[in-house]
Amino acid sequence: MSFLITCPTCGPRNAYEFRYGGEDKGPRPAEDGMTVEAWMDYVHRNRSVPGVVKEWWFHRDGCATWFTVYRDTTTNREAEAPP
Amino acid sequence: MKRLQLATLRIDASRKLSFTYRGRTLEGVHGDTIATALYANGVRVFSRSLKYHRPRGLYSLDGESANTLMSVDGVPNVLAETTPLRGGMKVEPQNVVGSPERDALGFLDRLDGFMPAGFYYRTMHKPAALWPPAAGVVRRMAGVGKLDPGFRAAGRYEETYLNAEVCVVGGGPAGMQAALAAARQGLRVVLLERRPWLGGFFEYRAPLHERARRLAAEVAEAGNVRSFCSTALIGLYNDHLVTAFQAGTDTDPFEERYVEIRAASVVVATGAIERPLLFENNERPGVMQVGCAQRLARTYGLLPGKTAVLSVAHDLGLECAADLAELGLDVACVADVREEGQDESLVRALAGRGIPLLRGWVAAEAKGRRAVDGVVLRSLSETASKEVACDVLVASAGVTPLAGPVTMAGGKLAYDAHTGAYLAAELPPGLHVAGRLTGLHDPAAIEASGRHAGLRAAEAKLEEPRSLPGPARGSTLVMAPVEGRKAFVCFDEDTTVKNVRQAVEQGFDRPELVKRFAAVGTGPGQGGIPGHNLPLLLAELLGEPVTALRPTTARSPAVAVGLAALAGSRHDMCKRTPLHDSQKASGAVMRRIGPWQRARYFSADTTCRAEVENVRTNVGLLDASTLGKFRLWGPDAVKALQRVYVSDMSKLKPGRVKYSAMCNDDGCVVDDGIVVRRGEDEYYLTTTTGRAGETVQWFRYHTRYDGWDYKMVNLTDAYGAVNVAGPNARKVLEKVTDADVSNAAFPFGTYREFVLGTIPVRAMRLGFVGEPSFELHVPASFTQAAWDLLAEAGAEHGVKSFGVEAQNVLRMEKGHLIVGSETEQRTTLHDVGLGFLWSRKKPEMKTVGAVALRQTEDQPDRLKLVGFRMDVPGETPRDGSIVVDEKIRGYVSIARYSSTLGQSVGLALVDAPLAEEGTALKIYEDGCKGKLKRARVVSLPFYDPAGERMRM
Repeated sequence: MSFLITCPTCGPRNAYEFRYGGEDKGPRPAEDGMTVEAWMDYVHRNRSVPGVVKEWWFHRDGCATWFTVYRDTTTNREAEAPP
Repeated sequence: MKRLQLATLRIDASRKLSFTYRGRTLEGVHGDTIATALYANGVRVFSRSLKYHRPRGLYSLDGESANTLMSVDGVPNVLAETTPLRGGMKVEPQNVVGSPERDALGFLDRLDGFMPAGFYYRTMHKPAALWPPAAGVVRRMAGVGKLDPGFRAAGRYEETYLNAEVCVVGGGPAGMQAALAAARQGLRVVLLERRPWLGGFFEYRAPLHERARRLAAEVAEAGNVRSFCSTALIGLYNDHLVTAFQAGTDTDPFEERYVEIRAASVVVATGAIERPLLFENNERPGVMQVGCAQRLARTYGLLPGKTAVLSVAHDLGLECAADLAELGLDVACVADVREEGQDESLVRALAGRGIPLLRGWVAAEAKGRRAVDGVVLRSLSETASKEVACDVLVASAGVTPLAGPVTMAGGKLAYDAHTGAYLAAELPPGLHVAGRLTGLHDPAAIEASGRHAGLRAAEAKLEEPRSLPGPARGSTLVMAPVEGRKAFVCFDEDTTVKNVRQAVEQGFDRPELVKRFAAVGTGPGQGGIPGHNLPLLLAELLGEPVTALRPTTARSPAVAVGLAALAGSRHDMCKRTPLHDSQKASGAVMRRIGPWQRARYFSADTTCRAEVENVRTNVGLLDASTLGKFRLWGPDAVKALQRVYVSDMSKLKPGRVKYSAMCNDDGCVVDDGIVVRRGEDEYYLTTTTGRAGETVQWFRYHTRYDGWDYKMVNLTDAYGAVNVAGPNARKVLEKVTDADVSNAAFPFGTYREFVLGTIPVRAMRLGFVGEPSFELHVPASFTQAAWDLLAEAGAEHGVKSFGVEAQNVLRMEKGHLIVGSETEQRTTLHDVGLGFLWSRKKPEMKTVGAVALRQTEDQPDRLKLVGFRMDVPGETPRDGSIVVDEKIRGYVSIARYSSTLGQSVGLALVDAPLAEEGTALKIYEDGCKGKLKRARVVSLPFYDPAGERMRM
């Protein structure tokens, strides 16, 4: 993990100071009528697109904040938010 | 061999160093590399090649080939030409049967017809049964160095991490000027140089060496330039992360040091190497690069031989001929592939010495079996040829910019017809190039390009461009007019021009494909010898324009680097509790648990029988300081607890302890602990030792969308904890506090705050080990004092310490689980018998795990946690043994002989149908050779089923 991640509190830091928190899938859905398949999808299935993705990162070796960034998974580096 | 006396020398001939080679004691001098010391002692054959076992000699001094890989002090694959000589070194050749001069496997050279390109892909797979013995033979014949499996790297290996504004790779004139230019802008600069000194291209050429040393002195004086010599680049990564490793000199405290630099911009000024000329036997000992011949003399004071012939393609070759002739070498003649365009002053210098210059001529074949004894020169335009006797053949086809780092960083190269080389064409932002890397040759132009690159890296105003010479015209000749059967493209892999043709004939027509199929550049030289010759040669063979092909992308590591250097320092970093020293003084045997050192036993008896019996019948003290401890507070604190814990946290009463668990979204248990309400929005919670570091992250992750107002502080290291456990625990505690700790005032499952002497205590009545016990949390700096008070008060009862293993046995007897022992990735709350903790009354809180707990509670075919008793007491299976019938049906998480019960018991996770009480279990222990152990499922807990003792 050689790239930099920009923490909203601490600024750009080495990526290995952070913990990756997965793709942004939105808040927890309502539990009423939740099927096994729908729950498995929410918890485990990722879109895994080659391109700009919105992700959660946690500044483990710093301010302990969870935040999102946009990152291009083909270059590994942070990217601009898509229009 | 007597050394020349020159101002450019980097050796000190007066300081002699003794070393052994093949058992003989030889002498070198301080500043020698191992290879130059051997050369000074007349060694000309250094190794035998991989495939054909051809003799190989000193070809370059910078390690582009594996020719000088030797075994030094038991370490294989040491690159002798770049490794400084140290007194006492024991040097041995590798991969030879006999000696490098007389290798018994030399006959393989005549069998090249049986080893065409890629032959191992087509021959070494049938018949499959032949492979094991064949592999042994191949390994003995084609290995590169032997490593004893017991070998341990000696010395210290360190790491250093730097932040700089500018990182300059290459400490030659361009690199030094770039570093100075950026430093003068006030920026921090790190300069990396592979050789032991700065100076690069100027260093060994009189009078330019004086300019080199002046620039090096300026760099040394610049306060914000940090130079690393003997430091080779390993890789260039995203966002200008640069990795390198530094070889320790004899005054450094380390063997090797890993250097990692995060820079805002990078200047690559790595210079250029020679492009090897392809002709028959172009790798014979005695054939060497222009730079190698000149530096042997100028840097190390050694004339390369008696009589030399040069076959060159650029002015550096003519300069080398004139210089070496001046120093006393007999230069028989110089062949230059160029018909015209030579520097006239150099032409005159050669003429003045009576050295014939053959324009438009090239070396076609090196003669001599073990070393060069002559060369066949051929004219490029006519059919004329001549043979000249010599013992040194300096050959070069041109100059190859060392553009590997540029491609590693994501830049692109393009062919430049003027220089005949691939130059950087597209650079990623923040990456700059300078010096010979850009094709320049003129000294003033090289320095100016360095300054320019340094200013651009500093994002500073550029100076007015002066009119300076641009890149020099380069030669485009790749191959002498020969068949190429023994014209080697890659020395390390023994790949010839003929092999490359064979690859092309089989359809491998791109450099990437030829490289991998015919093994061109895949050896320890990291592609330095094939270099740009591969795409240039391919273009010729395919008849394609040379602009259509490009060198392969360079990959990290740019040079071979030892694993020890990458592993770095080997000290064990661990955390200690406040009671560490006193526990050890009491005889504790410490063991690592996660990042902690904890007391595992207090005697040599690993069954801990005495410790266990003492807790069951008397009173013991346990250091529980590693427990995770947290303060959680704020208006929305209870919401956060509701989200993360499976229990209903909304009705916690102050003064009561609530035991609960945390699950993940699959309903599987990830942590357990207790929660205490200390005030209106004020909570204190504990977690397992192993998960403490993740707790804040976990809470914050699962509440990240909600915007709740709560705060958390990790108090794990701020508080120590002491467990006082046993029937006499209360008697000890009463003596050290005035608070009412009777069972009526302080019953099981409650929380109290009081003082021990003057030490504030948060105390809990818990029952993990199944006896009356008090868990006392005190501020870390008071923990030892609290322990001492309790130990003194307990002396009359014979209070003793107990460790983690004794605690393990005690809790097992109660059927209490430990997260990570009885729980794992697959075990839900229901599986381990804790489903009763889950509250179904709070769906609106969207508790983590609730959905999965609902979906799995009636799921068949799950593992269940059970207790079992061995049929034969004392016959205890090891932890992790599997439960079997026709298939694997589960596994044992813990099993021990219990002196309390007089039986061997344990806990296991088994398939649900086997979880019925009374079921017979068969246990397979690793190495039991089919002799199974037998047990029976029994109800839990084993000890004190009614749970009366811990409530006393």
